Amino acid sequence: MSGGAEGPPGGGKKSPVKKIHPAVVPAQPFQLAERRPVERLFADEEGRERLASAVSRYPEKKAALLPMLAYAQERNGVVSDAAMEEIAEALELTPAYVRSVATFYTMYAKRPVGRHWIQVCTCISCHLHGADEVFEAFLERTGTRAGEVSEDGKWTVIEAECLGACGFATVVQANDRYFENVTPETVPEVLAELDQGETEA
Amino acid sequence: MNAPANGTVRLTIDGVEVTVPAGTTVLQAAERAGVVVPHYCYHPGIPSRPAQCRMCLVEVEGQPKLQPSCVLGALDGMEVRTQTEQAREARRSVIEFLLLHHPLDCPICDAAGQCMLQDYAYETGQLKSRFEEAKLVLGRDRIADDILYFADRCILCTRCVRFMRDVAQDDALIVAQRGHKAYIDTFPGRDLDNLFRGNIVDVCPVGALVHEDFLFKARAWDFDSAPGICGGCANGCNIDVDVKENQVVRVKPRHNGAVNGWWMCDEGRRDLVMWNRGRRIDLPLVRRDGELAPVHWGDALAHVAAALGNVRGGVALASAFVENESLYFLRRLLGRLEITGGGFRVARGEERALPGFPSLALRAERAPNGEGARMLGFTETDALPEAPADGALVVLGDRLEGAPADFGKRAGFFLYAGTHLSEAAGNADVILPVAGYPETDGTFVSHEGRVQRFRQALQPPGVARPAWLVLARLVELLGEDGAAVRDAPAAFAALAADHPAFAGLDWNGLGLKGAAAAAAATAE
Amino acid sequence: MGYPHSHDLEVGTILSRHFGDPEARRLETWTGLGGYEGLRKAVEMDPGEITAVVKDSGLRGRGGAGFPTGLKWSFMPQEPDGPQYLCCNADESEPGAFKDREILRWVPHLLIEGCLIAARAIRAEHVYIYVRGEYFPFTRILNDAVVEAYGNGYLGRNILGSGWDCDLTVHIGAGAYIAGEETGLMSSLVGGRAEPRVKPPFPAQSGVFGRPTTVNNVETLAAVPMILVNGADWYRQWGTEKSPGTKLWCCSGHLERPGNYELPLGVPLKDVIYDVCGGIPGGRKLKAVIPGGSSTAMLTADELDIPTTYEGLQEGGSSLGTASPIVMDDSTNIVRAMRRIADFYAHESCGQCVQCREGTYWAARILKRIERGEGRMSDLDTLYDLCEQLTGRTICVLADSVVFPLRSSLDKFRPEYEALIRR
Repeated sequence: MSGGAEGPPGGGKKSPVKKIHPAVVPAQPFQLAERRPVERLFADEEGRERLASAVSRYPEKKAALLPMLAYAQERNGVVSDAAMEEIAEALELTPAYVRSVATFYTMYAKRPVGRHWIQVCTCISCHLHGADEVFEAFLERTGTRAGEVSEDGKWTVIEAECLGACGFATVVQANDRYFENVTPETVPEVLAELDQGETEA
Repeated sequence: MNAPANGTVRLTIDGVEVTVPAGTTVLQAAERAGVVVPHYCYHPGIPSRPAQCRMCLVEVEGQPKLQPSCVLGALDGMEVRTQTEQAREARRSVIEFLLLHHPLDCPICDAAGQCMLQDYAYETGQLKSRFEEAKLVLGRDRIADDILYFADRCILCTRCVRFMRDVAQDDALIVAQRGHKAYIDTFPGRDLDNLFRGNIVDVCPVGALVHEDFLFKARAWDFDSAPGICGGCANGCNIDVDVKENQVVRVKPRHNGAVNGWWMCDEGRRDLVMWNRGRRIDLPLVRRDGELAPVHWGDALAHVAAALGNVRGGVALASAFVENESLYFLRRLLGRLEITGGGFRVARGEERALPGFPSLALRAERAPNGEGARMLGFTETDALPEAPADGALVVLGDRLEGAPADFGKRAGFFLYAGTHLSEAAGNADVILPVAGYPETDGTFVSHEGRVQRFRQALQPPGVARPAWLVLARLVELLGEDGAAVRDAPAAFAALAADHPAFAGLDWNGLGLKGAAAAAAATAE
Repeated sequence: MGYPHSHDLEVGTILSRHFGDPEARRLETWTGLGGYEGLRKAVEMDPGEITAVVKDSGLRGRGGAGFPTGLKWSFMPQEPDGPQYLCCNADESEPGAFKDREILRWVPHLLIEGCLIAARAIRAEHVYIYVRGEYFPFTRILNDAVVEAYGNGYLGRNILGSGWDCDLTVHIGAGAYIAGEETGLMSSLVGGRAEPRVKPPFPAQSGVFGRPTTVNNVETLAAVPMILVNGADWYRQWGTEKSPGTKLWCCSGHLERPGNYELPLGVPLKDVIYDVCGGIPGGRKLKAVIPGGSSTAMLTADELDIPTTYEGLQEGGSSLGTASPIVMDDSTNIVRAMRRIADFYAHESCGQCVQCREGTYWAARILKRIERGEGRMSDLDTLYDLCEQLTGRTICVLADSVVFPLRSSLDKFRPEYEALIRR
C-alpha cells in the first residue's frame, strides 16, 4: 500500500509533522488515504509527537492508553499484539494490561479489517427501519461474510450497536464517516462513494 | 443496651449481636458472629473489593435493596439478615447464572470437594437449570508452564487477576474481552512466570485454575492433610501438606497473618513434593567386619552407646532442616562427648519478597531452621568438618552433598543419623535412620525468631524414627537417666526448660500459629 | 430549533436555535450570537453563587437519571486540597438518543462555555470531555472549537482576563456503552476498562485520578450558560416545579419527521409523537413507544396522554430517561424488537456482575428462541423471573435497564409472545 498523501514513509524526505493542540485528541480517520502503516508506532517523529501530546493531557501516563490504542488503529488499521507491547512500554504498563483494555472496546480491531470498515447499526431504531436488510445488502455487495476481509482487501462489514444517530436510520459508519438514511437500495451508492474516495487518494 | 466501646460498633446479624471495630465490613462482622455469608470475589488477602460476584448480598433493615456485605461498612445498630427469602433468592439466582455455561464436570474436576460453587449450589441452589440453550464452550488454556485454565468452569470472580495485580504487583493476568465473552488470560506468548503465581490456584474458588502437577492426581477426599511449615527457606511459611498414600501430592499455604498471610511461593510448593526423592535410609546399619549390616534399633543404639562411651571430643555437623527438638538432644549428646560448637551448612540464594505482603519472601537462607540451629549453638559453615582420629564425628541430617569419597574415614567413630544414604554417609560406623521434617512432629524457628510447630504428615520409611526420640535415648544410654522422651511435646518441654531462648514457651501454647522466641540466636 | 425539522411547539433557546447552521461553530459568529455571555458573568461570580443559580433553576441531569445538577455540584469539596475535575459525558450511546451529537456538531462553543461555568462552580481545574469514539466528525468540530477557544482567551490561563485558569481536554472513547455510566466513564478515562465500580466512594469524594470529580451530560452543561445569563426564573418559565426548563427530544422509529426538537418539559407525549413528529407514516397505527431511550418501559397507544416531565412519565409507568422516544408502528414484531434490545444489553454488559453478565445474555437467547418459533410458555415465566433477578442487584443499572422494556413488553404484549410460541 502506498504511503498516502504525505509521501512514502522513510522516503528520505522528512514529512512535516502537524503540531497538535495539546487539548484535543486527534480524531483522525482510519481511512485509506490517512493510513500509513508502520512497524513501530513511536519510531518516527509523528508517533513520538502523538505520544507526547497524549501524555501531556493527563496527570497520569496510563490515561493516554485509549488515545494511543486509537492511534495504533488509525495508523495501522489494526491494533496488533506488537502495537500493544509498544504502547505498554511507552506508558509503563504491562502488555497484558493493555490487552485487557484493548479487548474491552469494540473500536480497536484486534485482527486486520478491510480498508473500509463498514459498521451497520442494527440496534433498535435502525432495526425498525430495516437495518438487517441493509446489513445483508452490504454483505452481498461486498461478497463477504460478517467480519471478513474481502479478497481485494477493501471491505469488512460488521453489525454495530447503536451509533447514536437514531433519527437517521439506517445509520452506517465507514471508517470515520457517517452515512445516514441508508436503505438496501442506496447501499451501492455508499460503496461507490467510498470506492471513489479511494481512487482519488 | 450499653453503648459499645469507643472505636467499635455493635450490630446484629441474623439476630446474633456482635461488636466489631469501626471500619469492619458487614461480611467480616458476620464471620465474627458465626454467620457464613457466601461469597466469591471477596478474598480477605486481596485488597481490592470489586463487589462484583453479588453473592454476598444481605438484607439491611431500612434499605430497600440488598447490599453487598463485602464492602458495606458495619454501623452501630445495624440489623442485618442473611437468610430472608429475598437474600436466599438472590443467592439461588447467582448460582443458577453461574451454572448456565458451567460444564458440570465435577467428577473429573480437581476442585470437586473443595469447590465454593459446589458447596453453595448444594446449599442454596436448585436441582435443575432452566437454561435450555446450548452452553458456550470456551475450552482450556495454559497460562503458566504449570497452571492450566479451564475457561468453562471460570466464574470470573477475578480473584486471580487481582492477586497478581494487588499482591504480586505483576499485572500479567487479565480479563480479556467483556460481558459473557470475557475470560482470564495472559498476553499472548507471555505465560505467567511470577514466583508467586501458584497462589492464583489457591484463590480460585472453583476448578478453573489448576496445577498441572496435581491434575487428576487426587480427589479432595482422598488425601490426608497436616499442618506444616515450609522447608523451602527461612521464612517459615505456614502450610498444609496434602498427602495421599504416603506421598505429598500438594502443598498449600495455611493462613498466618504474622508470617505469610494466605500465600506462599512456588519454590516452597515444589520443595516438599520433591522431598521424598532419593535413596532413603530405612534400617539401622552397623559396620561389622568392614561391612554395614542391618540390625535392630536396640542393638544399634547399644552399639553406639558402647562405642561413644570411650570417645571424648570430636566434631559435629547438624542441619538447618532438622527440628529444634532433635538439635537440642544432639546438643546434649555432644555435651556428653565434650564436643562444643558444631556446624551446619545452608544453601543461599536471591531474596525475593511478595510486594503486596512483604513479610513473605523467599529468603536468602534456603532452609527452614537455620535460626533454630544458631540458637542451639551451631554455626553456619561452608566447609565440612575434619574428623579427628581419636574423636567422634557426629552428623545429623546433612546429606553430605559434595563430601569427598573418604569423608569421615579417619574419625575415631563416625555416627550418621539421617534420611538419605549418600556415598559419604556410607563411610559411617553406624547409620541411624531418622525421620525427615514432614515425617515427625517438631518445631522450626523462622528467620525472625518465630517458633512454629509442624505436624507429622508422612510415615517415615522402614523403621526410621524421629531423631529426637533416638538421640534422647542415646543420651540416656550414655548415663543421663530420665533423659529419654516419648513424644515431641515432651522433647520440646525438655528444650524449653533447659534453653533460655525457648523459656516460657510450651507446645500447646505455640498452637499452630507459633510464637516469638525469647531471644534471637544473635544474642549468643 | 430542531434538526432536521422544526415545529411550532418548540422553544428555540440558544441550545438548539442554531442547529443546522455551520456558521455557528465559528467563534466569531458565535460570540455575535450571544455566545460566552454566561462565562463572562461566571468569571465575576463565586462558585457558590453559580451553583445557587443552577440549583434555583431546577435543572436536572439530562443523561437519563435526572439528578438535580446544582445539588450534584454542591457535593464537591469547597476547599480543594488538590486538583478537582469535571467530566463532560459525551459518550452518548443510549439507543434512541442522538441529541448530544447535535450539540457537538452545531454548537460546540456552547458546550465549552457550559463546561467552563460548571468547572468554575465546582472548582475544577481541568475539564475532560469524553466523546464516544464513533463520533469522529463531531469530535473534529469540537476540536476546532476548543483550539479556537484556547487561541482567544476563553480557555487556559487567565480566562477572559479574570485571572482564573481552566484547561479542557477532549478525550475519545472506543465503543462501549457502559463508558456512559458515571463510574464506568471514570474508569475508562483514566486508561482502564470501562467497568463501573461500587459507590461509595462517590465521584465527588474520589473520581478520576483519585480526585473529586463531577460527571455531567452534554445537554446538562449546554443548558447552563443560558441559565446563568437569563436567571433561574427565566428557565423556570417552562416545564413544571419538578421538571423545569426545556429538553431536547430525540425522536426515532416509525415517525413522519424523526429528529431533534427542543420542547418545554410537559408537552403531552402524544403531541410529541403525533403533532411534533407528524405521527406514523404510511397510514399505520402506533403500537408501542419506548419514551426515554431503550432503557425505559414501553407504553402502548392509549398510554400516551401524559405530560413529558420526569414525574409525568414516571406516573405513566415509564420514565423520561434521555427523552428519546422510539416509536413502533403496528407492523412491528414486538418480540423481535425486544430481542434486538436485549442483544444490545448483552453485548454491552461489562461482565463484572454475575446477574448482568449471564442474565442479559440468557434473556436475549430465550427471546431469540421464541422469535424462531421454538419457545414454550414456561419461557415467559423464566423471563419474568429474570426481570426479578436483574433488578436492583448489580453495581450499576445496566441490568435494570433491560428489565424496563422487557417486563413492559411481557405485560403489554403477551399475546404476541404467546402467538409465536403457539405457532
